[in-house]
Order: sequence, then C-alpha cells, then structure tokens
Amino acid sequence: MADAAIHRVAATAAVRAPIGEAAAAWLLTAPAIVAFVLMLLVPTIAVCLLALTDFELGVPTFQFVGLDNFAELMRDRNFAIPVRNTAFFVALVAPLSILMGLVLALLIEANPRGRTFFRAAFFLPVVSLMVAMATAWQYLLHPTIGPVNAILRDLGLATPNWLGSSEWALISIGLISIWENAGFNMVLIMAGLTAIPRELYAAAEIDGARSAWARLRLVTWPLLGPTMLFVVLITTIRAIRTFDTVAALTQGGPNKASELIVYTIYREGFTYLRMGYASAMTVVFLAVVLGLMALQTRLIERRTHYG
Amino acid sequence: MTGISVENIAKRFGDVAALKGVALDVAPGEFVSLVGPSGCGKTTLMRIIAGLEMPDAGTVRIAERDVTGLRAADRDVAMVFQSYALYPHLTARQNMAVPLVMRRLNGWQRIPFLGARLPGTRNIVANIADEILRTAQMLSIEALLDRRPGQLSGGQRQRVALGRAIVRRPKAFLLDEPLSNLDASLRVQTRKEIVELHRRVGASTVYVTHDQTEAMTMSDRVAVMMAGEILQIDPPERIYGDPADLRVAAFVGSPSINVFDASVETGGRVAVDGYATGLATRASGRVVFAVRPEDLAPDQRVGMPARVEHIEFLGESLLLHARHARTGTAMIARLDGRERGAFAVGHDLLLRPDTARAFLFESGGKRLRAERMAQSAAEPVHG
Ligand SMILES: Nc1ncnc2c1ncn2[C@@H]1O[C@H](COP(=O)(O)OP(=O)(O)OP(=O)(O)O)[C@@H](O)[C@H]1O
Ligand SMILES: [Mg+2]
Repeated sequence: MADAAIHRVAATAAVRAPIGEAAAAWLLTAPAIVAFVLMLLVPTIAVCLLALTDFELGVPTFQFVGLDNFAELMRDRNFAIPVRNTAFFVALVAPLSILMGLVLALLIEANPRGRTFFRAAFFLPVVSLMVAMATAWQYLLHPTIGPVNAILRDLGLATPNWLGSSEWALISIGLISIWENAGFNMVLIMAGLTAIPRELYAAAEIDGARSAWARLRLVTWPLLGPTMLFVVLITTIRAIRTFDTVAALTQGGPNKASELIVYTIYREGFTYLRMGYASAMTVVFLAVVLGLMALQTRLIERRTHYG
Repeated sequence: MTGISVENIAKRFGDVAALKGVALDVAPGEFVSLVGPSGCGKTTLMRIIAGLEMPDAGTVRIAERDVTGLRAADRDVAMVFQSYALYPHLTARQNMAVPLVMRRLNGWQRIPFLGARLPGTRNIVANIADEILRTAQMLSIEALLDRRPGQLSGGQRQRVALGRAIVRRPKAFLLDEPLSNLDASLRVQTRKEIVELHRRVGASTVYVTHDQTEAMTMSDRVAVMMAGEILQIDPPERIYGDPADLRVAAFVGSPSINVFDASVETGGRVAVDGYATGLATRASGRVVFAVRPEDLAPDQRVGMPARVEHIEFLGESLLLHARHARTGTAMIARLDGRERGAFAVGHDLLLRPDTARAFLFESGGKRLRAERMAQSAAEPVHG
C-alpha cells in the first residue's frame, strides 16, 4: 500500500523532471518574445530594407537603389520644412507641458481637497479620443464663431485665424498638445510625489527649511529626479510623434506651416504611395529619436543617480 | 530649570485618542527613555515636542520657552527618525550641513554660485565645514563624509543621522527608535555610544524605544507609556523594583512578572488560593499578587503547589515553567543554573514567593501599598 503510493509520487516526479527551469523560462517569455519580434523587430528591419528600394504601392516591381532615397531626402525642401517645424514644436510643447504638469501636480498635492476631481479633470484629455477632441478645438478656435476669438474681440484684442493662418497654425497645434500632455505629466509627477517619504519633509522642517520653496529645493525637486527623467523622455517622444491633431485640424497646412514629420511620412507613403522614400524618412526619424533619447538619458541620469 | 517640559498634552486622530493628558519633564542634560508597546503614542508625543504635529490641548516648553505655537523650524530641537530620513541625493557631509546652512545663511546666500559671492558667506561656510568635521570625528565617520546614504550600511547611516542632529548643538534632542533597524550586536554597541555621546553633548534627550533593555540600560529615568498615558516616570531601578501599575510591572522584566489572582481575607491577609502570601492590605475583595521570576523559589515546607511543565536552561540561570496545581495559573521561576539536575518535567513541588519583594495591585491595576505580616502569620493557612 505505502509502497504503491511512493511509486506513484516518484512516477509523477519523473514526468515533471524533463521540463527544466530553463525550458520553463523560455516558455514563459515566449509570448513576449514573439510579440516583440513580430511587432517591433520585423517591421523595423522591413522598413530599413524598404528604405533601400524604390518600392511604390501598386507598382508590381521594385529595385534596389542603395542610398539614393537618403540622398534625395537631404536635398528635399519638403522634408526640411517638417523637420524644422517638428524641432520648433518639441521645443515649445515639451518644456511648457512639463512645467504645467509640475505646477498642477504641486498645487493639487498641496491642497488635498478636490484632489480626485482636479486629477480627473486634467487627465481627461489623455483618456479621451484626440480626434474627437479636435472637433471641439476646431469650434473653440474658429476665427469668426469661436468663443476664444469672441473673448479676444470683447477685450479689444487682435483675433487671429488660429488654425488657418501660417503664423498661428503650428502654435495652435502646439497649445492643444500642451493641454493634452500637461494632464498626462501631472499624473506621472503626482505618482512621483507620493513616492517621496513623508519623513523627509519632517526632517527638512526640523532642519530649518521654513518656506515651501526651501522644502521644494531641498526635498521635492531632487527626489523627483527619476520621475522627471521619465517625464522628459516620454513628453519629448509624444511631442515628436504628434500626428492626430495635425491630421484632424490642419492637414499640415496652410502651405506646410503646421506639417510635422510623422504627417509627412504618412502622406509620402499613403497619399503618394512612395513607400521606399517614406521608409527612408522613417529610418532617419527613428535614428534621430533614438539618439535624442540616449543623449537625454545620459545627461539626466548622471544627475539623478543616488546609488 | 527644565530642558523639555510637556504638560497635559492631548491629541486625537479622528476617533483615536492617541494621547490623553500626557505630562513629562526632562531636566537639562537628562536622558529620559519613553517605552511602551506599539501604538501607545510614543511617536505622536515626539512629533508634538518637535513641532511636527500640533496638540489639541496642552503646552510644550523647551529651555523655559513656551514653544507650543511655534513650528518645528523655530524650536531648538533635533530629531533622529526611525528611518533616519537622510536626504538620499546629498552626501553625508551635505546632509550634516543642511541644518547649519538653513539656519545661518539667508535665502540669497543659499543660491548656488551667486550666494558664495555675497559678503559674509565664505566665513560662515568655512565655520560650517569646521563644525561638520568636528562632529564627524566625534562619531568616527570622517571617512564616510563624501558618500551618499545609498552607499552606507545601516549602522553608518544611523551615525550620519545622529551627526546631522547634534551638529548644531540643539537644546533638546529627540530620538525615535534609532536602533530598531540595526542587528542585535550593533545595537548593543551603538547603545553605549549614544549614552557616551549624550554625556559629551549634554542636551536634554528623549529616547523612544520599545526595547525595555535599551530603556533600562541607557536612561537616567524611564517613562512607561501605555494607551496614550504615561503610567510612571522613574529611574530604571524604581521602574523595576517599585512599579506603580500592574501594566508597568508586566511590561518591564523578562520573563514577565508572575501574576496571581488573590483574595483579601480576615485581617487584610492576602491569600492566593489558600496560600497565605504574608502580605496584608486595607483593601478588600479581589486583588492581584505579583512576584518576579527571580523572587520565586522551590521550598520544602511551604509555597504554592505547582507542576513543572518545561525547563529552560540559560547557562547562568534556569527558567522553571510551572503551572499552579489547582488554579492552573502559569508561573516562571528563575533559579541558579547549577541546580539544573534537581528538577524534571512533571515534578510536583512547592514554589514560595519572596514576600519582601512581591507586589500587590488593585484589580484595576493600580499599586496597593502592602504591609508585611509577622513571620508566624506567613505559615500556610492549610495544606
Ligand atoms: N497621522 C495619523 N492619523 C491617524 N492616526 C494616527 C496618526 N498617527 C498616529 N495615529 C494613531 O495614534 C496612535 C499612536 O501612534 P504612534 O505612532 O504615536 O504610536 P507609537 O507608540 O509610536 O507606536 P510604534 O511603537 O509602533 O512606533 C496609534 O493608534 C496610531 O494608529
Ligand atoms: Mg513610533
């Protein structure tokens, strides 16, 4: 009786044994690996390869053209404009939306009353569909019937054609992006703030940090470092790849004044069907983004690593 | 003249009465420990003394000055937190500089680069560097000054936290369980060092711990706190030898004091299930008779009948765990370790309390002043 039971246990153990720890590890990571290969690695390699061809959608044959696409890019004014626009756009949106997110987070954190309400209110743009929100913005910024201009008119100020003029179109898209990203950053920064130990504030108070400003400089700002690194990275990426607002509100116009890189790539590939050329743009775009990320990480991490 | 004086402090958190009228006086240079079980309000009292929490009622005085309404930054107190609360982005040196910089430099002088050019800044900064070095030498942490907290061990961090607290020579010094994160041997060593440090710095100190050994070995006086009240403040030997409350007697001493349900019989004689303890009282009805393990010993003729359940041999001493033969009350006797062979589990014997060192308490827990009866009266009532 007892013997039989022992044998049964031994038999089960024998069956289990072949699946070693290493095999189990591979099995468990397999879904992630497959997803990574199929959805990131293969497309990236495909884009890199396509960038070396003159492939056009709908044309049955294509040829290997080497670096011709890249040479053309360098000369293409239609690419230079969106590059400049994007640089301006990121320089406008990233700092302002981070600053706004920080100020909102500190204000809400300092006054716990209504915390959930304000957090939800400012996070709304992130969870709502940007294309739907764009419709609202189109109305708000309408040159003649829009409330924004109505207020400006009442104040006796100039009433620009926000989305329709070449001076203002890019700035308007930028303001909308700031509004969208500030809420996102606020939530990230609030999470970072709650991770700061309360006792550090008590210690700062005892050490003589009388003003809120002194405590901000002594505790909040330095301890928010790792969070801010993440916020800066994610905001830069989100700003660089802005697409939906442009597509919904201005289509890059007027006269390419509000055209951003991703929109150019989209038009090159899906309107003009020049997939090879669009791929070359994508490769350049990818390289620039990766380089920027590496630079930022290097720069900021040096100052926030407490090891 | 007082160092720290706290009167009548009450504090509620919603429904929880954390402190119920606490009073505590610490003389200048005195070291007072605050002990008590978890959640009894020790940290809350410390935070109120420090000014991090406002009391609902009562006053706090530090060096004769009423500071009840002042905020922490304006009271002359330093505090060491249980978690040390060091600034993780600053080196040990910078951590220790913070309290001095914050107090001696004004807002303009603290601005990076620019501040250093303002008149006077350089002198002050040089003084600060000097004082940090002197304090670091006192704590033997000179070699660690340029490391960040993340690069220090728990014990080293604790020293830096101590350094940050004493570097500005505060009038009052508050430590909230500073040793609880250290391992046992380091704790014993640091215990000695803190006492020594206190002797040199000489500030009034309140030291929170829930380790009674720490409290007994380090302090001039011990305050035992329970459920938001201080039950007794006395030198360690009186806390142990003359407890004012049953809860104090039970909290201090390891193993815990033996407690017996007793009745007051004719003439005020106190008996435990028929055994005449030799103590008498004016109270009546039920009382509590308590005797420490080292004051309970086997006797051939008289005592409380008990059966040995378990024997713990500790080397120099021997703990005899027994149970009262009739009432089932658990009792522990501490005997000389050399008597080890004399007892075995299951033995029946008589355990006799040393009347001169036993205590009587009301059933509510308050100490009763007992009278010792003449020797003849201490004979057994029966059997
Ligand atoms: N900020 C707070 N909000 C609500 N209740 C609190 C707060 N701080 C403390 N309390 C309550 O007050 C009581 C005393 O807490 P306190 O922290 O002073 O205990 P303690 O004696 O320091 O305990 P420990 O030994 O565990 O540190 C506890 O019941 C606790 O739950
Ligand atoms: Mg505590």
